[in-house]
Amino acid sequence: MNDCLMDRRRFLQWTGAGVFAALTTQLSLETLAGAASSSPLPTNTPILVIVTLYGGNDGLNTVVPFTDPNYHSTRSNIALSGSQLLAPISDSLAFNSSMPQINTLYGQNKVAIVQGVSYPNPNLSHFSSMAIWQSASLTGAITSGWIGRWLDLQPHNPFTAIGIGSTLPPLLVGDKSVASMVDLGGIWPPEGSGATILPSLGQPSSSDVPLVASAATSISDLYATSAVLGPLVTKSPSGSFLNEQLSLVATLINANVPTRVWEVNLSSFDTHAGEQEYQNALLAEVDAAIGTFMTSIGSGSRSNDVTVMIYSEFGRRVKSNASLGTDHGSSGPVFIIGNSVKGGLYGEQPSCGSLDVNGNLQVTTDFRSVYGGVLEDVLSTPVGDVIPSWSSTVSVQ
Amino acid sequence: MQRGLEATRETVLKHGIEDPGLNSAPALTLPDLGPYPTPNTSAWTAFWNSIYGGNNQLVTWWLDRMTLASYPLNERMTWFWHGHFATSISKVVYPLPMQVQNNTQRKLALGNFRDLAREMVLDGALNFWLDNEENYVESPNENLAREFMELFTLGVGKFTQDDVTSAAMALTGYETTQWTGAVSLNATGHYSKPITILGRTAPFNAQGFAALVVSLRQNANFISDRLWFRFVSSTTSPPPNLAAHFNDRDVASLVNALVRSSAWTNPANALVKSPVEWFVGACRALKVQPSSLNQTNLQWDLSQMGQIPFNPPNVGGWPSGQAWLSGAALQYKFAVAQLVVAAGDLSPLSVPSSKMVQACADWLGVPEWSRRTANSLAAATSNPSEMVTAALCAPEYLVSA
Repeated sequence: MNDCLMDRRRFLQWTGAGVFAALTTQLSLETLAGAASSSPLPTNTPILVIVTLYGGNDGLNTVVPFTDPNYHSTRSNIALSGSQLLAPISDSLAFNSSMPQINTLYGQNKVAIVQGVSYPNPNLSHFSSMAIWQSASLTGAITSGWIGRWLDLQPHNPFTAIGIGSTLPPLLVGDKSVASMVDLGGIWPPEGSGATILPSLGQPSSSDVPLVASAATSISDLYATSAVLGPLVTKSPSGSFLNEQLSLVATLINANVPTRVWEVNLSSFDTHAGEQEYQNALLAEVDAAIGTFMTSIGSGSRSNDVTVMIYSEFGRRVKSNASLGTDHGSSGPVFIIGNSVKGGLYGEQPSCGSLDVNGNLQVTTDFRSVYGGVLEDVLSTPVGDVIPSWSSTVSVQ
Repeated sequence: MQRGLEATRETVLKHGIEDPGLNSAPALTLPDLGPYPTPNTSAWTAFWNSIYGGNNQLVTWWLDRMTLASYPLNERMTWFWHGHFATSISKVVYPLPMQVQNNTQRKLALGNFRDLAREMVLDGALNFWLDNEENYVESPNENLAREFMELFTLGVGKFTQDDVTSAAMALTGYETTQWTGAVSLNATGHYSKPITILGRTAPFNAQGFAALVVSLRQNANFISDRLWFRFVSSTTSPPPNLAAHFNDRDVASLVNALVRSSAWTNPANALVKSPVEWFVGACRALKVQPSSLNQTNLQWDLSQMGQIPFNPPNVGGWPSGQAWLSGAALQYKFAVAQLVVAAGDLSPLSVPSSKMVQACADWLGVPEWSRRTANSLAAATSNPSEMVTAALCAPEYLVSA
């Protein structure tokens, strides 16, 4: 080890941030590719699709408590009413009119709305809230992601959990293993100058420190996943960004790829200003993408296997601001969608007239209970194995 | 050895002096494009061409500077502050205010954090990005107030919602011109009565608010932690005395202490290179000026890897560590490696073939190849291009251990 090089490299090579380790026994490329292509996901295996809405979606303008007088009085400049709402789904709630397809699915009893979901004492921060949701740990003592820890319990296989994109979200990073990523642009084995050497750089080496070993795994995973998924990702998706992601997921699910968990995401829900315009467009994007996805899945053999969960890191302040927007808030609805879901309302809708000290909605359902239901119903894993000393579940199946 | 290490540290820390490398970096003067023209006119089309063209030029301009600097610390720290006060052109739209912010961060990159915080709280791009032009006394918008404390100066959990509410009042009355980034105070819109922020009661304006939060001991802890996280390790804690080197908020002193700490040379503190860091490192080694590459391909590949300068994913800044290590990102990295190598100076590999693999490690600043990598690269001694393309994607180069 040359200290001078080590030292200089820190700045001159523009080194980046550090990390936690993730590594497990590696299989050969041939084994992985073979296992995937020759081992399609067994029939009737439940599949979870996680949709992360970054920025804090305003739940009150998503599923609207239109009979709550405080809803209208505290946010009079952005409150929805009349034609801005779809036909009520209960005596006090109606969907934002940007969500006709999810509304229809709700009418078919395929949408569970878990109300008032957050974690205890919401701190109103995007980043600590999202860290809490993605790690399922309140204190920051656990930094691995909840799906990553579930992945740690499964035999190593780069297909078991897949995120769409190229940057791994924290929820897909375990203590020992990480999910694979598939980019919308497709996934292909490198070609051209240097490509013949690259596969051997993905082999494990006893001298690798954990992060270097993870880098090697990323090389072998690229070959394993591109061999199987590459030919399936050639069609060029169309429509919105979320629609592109979910179209790809539907294609791969219908191709029987042996994947149990998928993750897609959409950003820009941080509507401090001009909320109606921006949020309605985003909700319409979510609605269209989910509608198309459910139709695609319905045309395949997995229509009863797939469960979609849609969440955001927090809801927004009940009282609006003068910029026709809302500041950071607390609880919001989580949507769980699928043919096997028992649709309806779960938990208690927090009142706009009974707020916490910061003027935010009360938390009526702990998000870990929602995860608990998903872990036990969809992923067949006791919640306590993934979220230490947690046992409560909200089951919607 | 010890003398060599000291000399290296001195080189690393050089800043504030004439930089011969930067003299050859192309200058970029962006026009004031003014407010949005009428939609669906020829002016409208020209306007958006200027916006997108300027955005691409801005990215290239900075990548060139990062690559060409003879003493890269100042650009490296500018990059750190860009990620720290993460502002995205996706909302700001205009490249000019992004460049103004970038130049402010460059000017103060190794200066006093008091000055940087004071400039940033009144930075036009940041004010627009965090909605402060819509922060009114009668109905405050808390976005800038909250993130200024949480992400820029103090850290999460170091203030209350009441502090956010008050700080938002301190930031009322500032008007931003979106296309230039100019911020001015409209006194009639500013809340001038005494308010209480973090236990201090006074009539606060933006500068007073920034000065208050920076004066707190927690600010020294927070900034030291952030620098440690991005430069040394996100898994281990900084040495307890690190923040003491930031008592007077002098960034250069803090960086100096970091570089001189034993943690600096501890191989256990591994870091994953972010895509831009990886790319600039490759360009510096291979003497490739980023603007000489195919910009369409380069910016597409960087965006697919998840990192285009001036376009961070959110106000929290860039991801870190493991997040960058996906097979999906690697395929783009490999494409960029081919792009850089095709344009690069490979003369450091003009050595006897038995010495090429080691020469490649020395050249790229890799302390030691694993047996796996050494054996793999040795298969390419007849083709230096192939060797260095693969080496730039080798696990030991993707990560600094």
